[in-house]
Amino acid sequence: MLPLSAIVALVVGIAIVAFLFFGAEALAGQTVGRLVLLAGLLALPLLLSLGNISYGLHESSSTRFCLSCHEMQRHGKSLFVDNKQALAAAHYQNRLVERESVCYSCHKDYAMFGDVTAKLNGLRHVWAHYVAGVPKKIELYKPYPNSNCLHCHDDARRFIDGPAHRPILPALYAGTTSCLSCHRVAHDMAKVDADELWQAH
Amino acid sequence: MTTPIMTKKIRRAAVLAGLGLGVQLVAALHWTPATFILSAVLGPPLVLAGGVLFLVAVWKNMKDKGAV
Repeated sequence: MLPLSAIVALVVGIAIVAFLFFGAEALAGQTVGRLVLLAGLLALPLLLSLGNISYGLHESSSTRFCLSCHEMQRHGKSLFVDNKQALAAAHYQNRLVERESVCYSCHKDYAMFGDVTAKLNGLRHVWAHYVAGVPKKIELYKPYPNSNCLHCHDDARRFIDGPAHRPILPALYAGTTSCLSCHRVAHDMAKVDADELWQAH
Repeated sequence: MTTPIMTKKIRRAAVLAGLGLGVQLVAALHWTPATFILSAVLGPPLVLAGGVLFLVAVWKNMKDKGAV
C-alpha cells in the first residue's frame, strides 16, 4: 500500500471530480465556473497522476518491491547467507549499499539510460511472472558490466591498492576482464538452500 | 450559457477523470508490480482523455457562440 498521504490525495481528487460532475451545469455557464472545471477536471487530476506515477517509480526501486514476487524470495534470502565472499551478502550485511534499494543498487546500470533500462527490464519481469512463465534458472539478461561495480569502487583505495587488482587494473577499467571472473559468487544459492544464514534467526 | 449537450460532455469528462483517479487509488491500496503498471498505463491516459474531452466541449460551445 502507498503512504496514507497519497491515498488521501487521490480520494480528495475523486471527491472533487464527483462534486464537479454534479455541478457541471451550473459551473459551465460562467467563465469562473469553467476555470474551476478546468482546474478540477484537468489540472488537479493530472497533477495527482504525475505525483502518483513519480512516487510509484521511486517505490519500484525498493528492495521490498523486488522481493514481492515469489520467485525472488531465494534471492532475498541470499542477502543473509553466511558467506563473506558472496557479493550480495557482503554488500548487504556490511551496509555497503542502501538496504532500502539493495537490489537496484547493483542491478541498475549507471549510464545515461540506466534507470530507463532497469524499469523496462522490470516490465519484462512482470510479463514473465504473469504471462510467459518464470524460467527455471533466473539469469541476467546480459553479462554484468564492470561499470556497475566501478561506480562505487572506482577510486576506492582498497580496490586500487588491492594486490589482486593492481596487475589487471587497466583491463578492469576497460571491461575486458570481468570483476566476476574472480568474484564469482553473486548470490550464494547453495547456502540459501542449506539454510546457512548469518544473524537472520 | 450551457447546452445540455455540453453538460453531458463535461460529465463524461468528469467520469473519465474520475475513473483514471479511481484506477490509481485501487492500485495505491493494493500495491504490486502488476497494479503499478496497470495504474501507470490506464490512469494518466484516462485522466488526460477526460481533460481533453472537457476542453473540446468548451471549445465547441465557444465556437458555436461566435466567441472564437
